[in-house]
Amino acid sequence: MRSSLPLVAVLLLAGFVLSFTASEYTLRLLNMAVIASVAVVGLNFAFGYAGLISLGHAAFVGLGAYTLAILTTQAGWSPWLAAIPAILGTGLVAAALGYPLLRLKGHYLALATLGLNVSFSIVAANWIEVTGGTNGIARIPGLSILGHDLKDERSFLWFGLAVLAVLSVLALAIHGSRIGRAMMAVRDDETAAAMTGINVTGVSVSAFALSAIYAAVAGCLFATHVHFVSPDDFSYAHSITHLAMLIVGGEATVAGAIIGATLLTFLPEWFRIFGDGYLAFFGLMMLAILVFLPTGIMGLLRRWRRAPRPGTAPHGAARS
Amino acid sequence: MADLIQLVTNGLALGSVYALAAIGFVIVYSATGVVNFAAGQFVMLGTFAGVTTLVTLGLPMPVGYAGAVALMALFGLLFYAAVYLPLSRSPVVTIIIGTVAIGITLQNAALLTFGSWPVRLTSPVEDMIVEVAGAVIPLHAIAVVVATAVLIGLLWLLLNKTALGIAMRAVAQDVRAAKLMGLRVNVLLAFTWVLAAVLAGIAGLMLGPMWFADVNMGDPIALKAFAATIIGGFGSLPGAIAGGLFVGLAEVLGASYISSAYKDLIAFGAMILFLLVRPQGVFGERIQDRG
Repeated sequence: MRSSLPLVAVLLLAGFVLSFTASEYTLRLLNMAVIASVAVVGLNFAFGYAGLISLGHAAFVGLGAYTLAILTTQAGWSPWLAAIPAILGTGLVAAALGYPLLRLKGHYLALATLGLNVSFSIVAANWIEVTGGTNGIARIPGLSILGHDLKDERSFLWFGLAVLAVLSVLALAIHGSRIGRAMMAVRDDETAAAMTGINVTGVSVSAFALSAIYAAVAGCLFATHVHFVSPDDFSYAHSITHLAMLIVGGEATVAGAIIGATLLTFLPEWFRIFGDGYLAFFGLMMLAILVFLPTGIMGLLRRWRRAPRPGTAPHGAARS
Repeated sequence: MADLIQLVTNGLALGSVYALAAIGFVIVYSATGVVNFAAGQFVMLGTFAGVTTLVTLGLPMPVGYAGAVALMALFGLLFYAAVYLPLSRSPVVTIIIGTVAIGITLQNAALLTFGSWPVRLTSPVEDMIVEVAGAVIPLHAIAVVVATAVLIGLLWLLLNKTALGIAMRAVAQDVRAAKLMGLRVNVLLAFTWVLAAVLAGIAGLMLGPMWFADVNMGDPIALKAFAATIIGGFGSLPGAIAGGLFVGLAEVLGASYISSAYKDLIAFGAMILFLLVRPQGVFGERIQDRG
């Protein structure tokens, strides 16, 4: 598969340029899109590379966010310090859950991870002493770099884009590495992968844990951006949205994950002109994308690039 | 003791609703392989079909119920043509997201049509109670259990004793072979969706008087129906019934004896435990057959 590094660079650069011209409202949405992108680039390890259908990704985002929120507000840690156990702890939890769960396949795994997400929401909503119940946890401190607080939307966006850039490059490096190829081998044919000496369980669990680590980073960004977490922010509906973002973006690529996450963050906002129940149009739009663009936006881009219309300059075809 | 009888009856009534929702989900899955994440919205639409005919239009009870069921049958046909057919050749995950997308649309279309204010759908046996050994039981709960039992009996007769039902099972078993035997597969698949929508709709009509009719009721019901299906066994009708009753009983008894906050954790905990230890459920399909 062609590397999507140039496209990722273009997307991040576009975000950076937009940060100078966009309104406060758009900046906020861009921040949301960047945070969702981090989570979805992570989900791409589990679903895109290793073929694991996870409907529990939001629970890992939530675990990261809640861990940071609890350590900063109740134990008085700095958010930078709290992010370390939040991210590593979430990865460990995912690995521990992955060992028994990932024996399941297809819709069994989908429903098991869905059950996991629902269970997370129930615990977050009811373990009031620790999580604050449905009231959530407020007043989470923000991040600051060298004395500069990332308080306004613009500086947070720059930081978010930098994090997304680092994590995207890492994801692309893993894609081309031995472990990345092993994940894809497991996705395409488990038996054949096992025959060539790949440790199928180990590879699946690594993909799952890696996706949870990215999710926890997204959770930490979310908590320090919004300064507030509640169970609703990490319900299973968000897990489904993450998966939808990946599929709408298409083709299990990092660039696709970012495009899908950004599009599905902005799409509902554009539909607000329809008033109450605007999500009805959002659902129809998503169904239309799934039916008419089964390979997502990336598939569309590729087709458009590979098959120039007859009559276009021949050197254009030669270049692609 | 009186308390226990009361709780068990209410649990069985709620469980019957979950069981019907789960059966609708299972017959679609067996026939088409589609995991329908909009199943909860089917139940919600059933309740609101009843609200439309009985409350908004004020039709008399029998006509209103028949009208609501007819609306649901029409909805099932529409769903088959507009959602299932375009998606039927897609990979599992696309179908999951597709049915989720259409579920979001249905929920918000209902919000646009009926508003966010919960509505009360009354029961034909509203306010009537029965006393058994000192326990006060709403007649509606008993009626729900009896009606569910009758429906399950009719469903069994349909699937085992009629040509239509046997043809449906043939399609569920092997679409290609069924086609080669000259069965009109598309008509049978359409009928499967209609049957699922009607069963979910009846579940919704029975649930209306137990809960308030609320456009957001679909998701919690879908989750319970999924848990019921996993516990009973994916793709198994007796499993859907046993699972549904278990989830309903666990919810009502758990809320009263263990913790009302964590009542739902029992069902989902049991579901995850089953997935880990016995993923084929109590009566399930052999798991290696499916992917």
